[in-house]
Amino acid sequence: MFPIYLAAAEAGADAAKSGLLETFRVDWPYFAAQFINFIIVIIVLKKFAFGPIQNMLEQRRKRIAEGEEKLKRIEQQLADSEQRTQEAIDKANADAQRLITEAKESAASLSEKKAQEAVASAQQILAKAEEAAKAERKTMANELKKEFGRLVTATTAAVTGKELNDADQKRINEEALKSVEG
Amino acid sequence: MFALGTGAASAAGGHQLPLYPHSPFEGTMLSWVTNSMIMVWMAAGLIILFCRAATKKMAMVPSGFQNFAEWLIEGLYTFFGNILGEHLVKRTFWFFGGTFLLILTVNYLALIPGVGTITYNDSEGHVQGLLRGGNADLNMTAAMSLTFALLWFYWAVTENGIKNFLAHIFAPKGDFKGPMLMGMIVIFFLVGILEVISIMIRPVALSFRLFGNIYGGEQTLGGLMALVPKYLAFLPALPFYFMELLVGLIQALVFTLLSAVFLKLICTHGEDH
Repeated sequence: MFPIYLAAAEAGADAAKSGLLETFRVDWPYFAAQFINFIIVIIVLKKFAFGPIQNMLEQRRKRIAEGEEKLKRIEQQLADSEQRTQEAIDKANADAQRLITEAKESAASLSEKKAQEAVASAQQILAKAEEAAKAERKTMANELKKEFGRLVTATTAAVTGKELNDADQKRINEEALKSVEG
Repeated sequence: MFALGTGAASAAGGHQLPLYPHSPFEGTMLSWVTNSMIMVWMAAGLIILFCRAATKKMAMVPSGFQNFAEWLIEGLYTFFGNILGEHLVKRTFWFFGGTFLLILTVNYLALIPGVGTITYNDSEGHVQGLLRGGNADLNMTAAMSLTFALLWFYWAVTENGIKNFLAHIFAPKGDFKGPMLMGMIVIFFLVGILEVISIMIRPVALSFRLFGNIYGGEQTLGGLMALVPKYLAFLPALPFYFMELLVGLIQALVFTLLSAVFLKLICTHGEDH
């Protein structure tokens, strides 16, 4: 017969004959020693194994959670920063556009003003030049008249052979000038 | 004088692995130290050494022993957490995790060649193993069960309060009114008495289940080894060694899992409370 069955049968028979605790020899000293052993092992494991390792796991969990939290904050800050940057860029663009427009307007106005000034200045210069030319022409005409009168008087005196007085000279000059101008 | 052989070989000669442990120091002041107790100490020492090695230089980025220990403990924590819930597992994991590791290590150490097979004759002439599987001793399994029973009571009372604890066992579950309520109070009181008996039997069942499986496994291995000549003794037992590896793990799981379920049952606050 298989020894296990024999053992089981024998154990059963023993248990039936004597008490259960006696059959399995559950004695107080052995039981107490095993009880104390077990308690000590469990407490030692709690203190030296589960405690430090669970602390480490907890620390890591916290660190990961903090990391996640930081990441979220950084992402939020980045988004805010991007938004602020975009707003600043938009504002700068708007300012620049406004400045350009103002500058263009200012430049156009200045240009118009300068052009007008230049035109006015040119007209002024032209008027002055014309006046100067007129005055010079008048002077030249007077000098020419004077020279022409002197030449006519001299020629008349030479042709007639007589000395002309001032009244003659004046009349001859006036007649000669009339004939030239006429 | 020690003899080297198999327990089953002895069984073939008319002896089998005794049902109870024996002290190799019989007649001395260490007579309270049994062969199974030595195995429990060895297992405890092994676990403590491992834990010291794992926690000696703990780093935020784990490696080596620490990595393995963290994997093991985190796995167990998650496993028991799924049964007990976040709050209870935080409170009780040290017991369930420690008990699981101890039972598993003791079970596996019992499979090391020499345990139960290096024998001596006691003063009464019985063949005794110099070492004996720690859980093949009812004293050990009963000590663990009793510890759990005491802790179960403590946790149950502190979690529920004494009033709710008693109500959990004796009070009627459901919404009853009038005469029906009176009837249910009587019925549930009687059911509560049965529940108390069931609660008291739990440690006994836990003790004998673990003891029976481990003792039975050792007997099986010994019996199979005795079937063939000594030089081939390893052969028939070999497949059963793998089975015993499985049994060692399963029994560690069953003991702690049942304990956890018993605790969860008493700490569950149903709608009836």
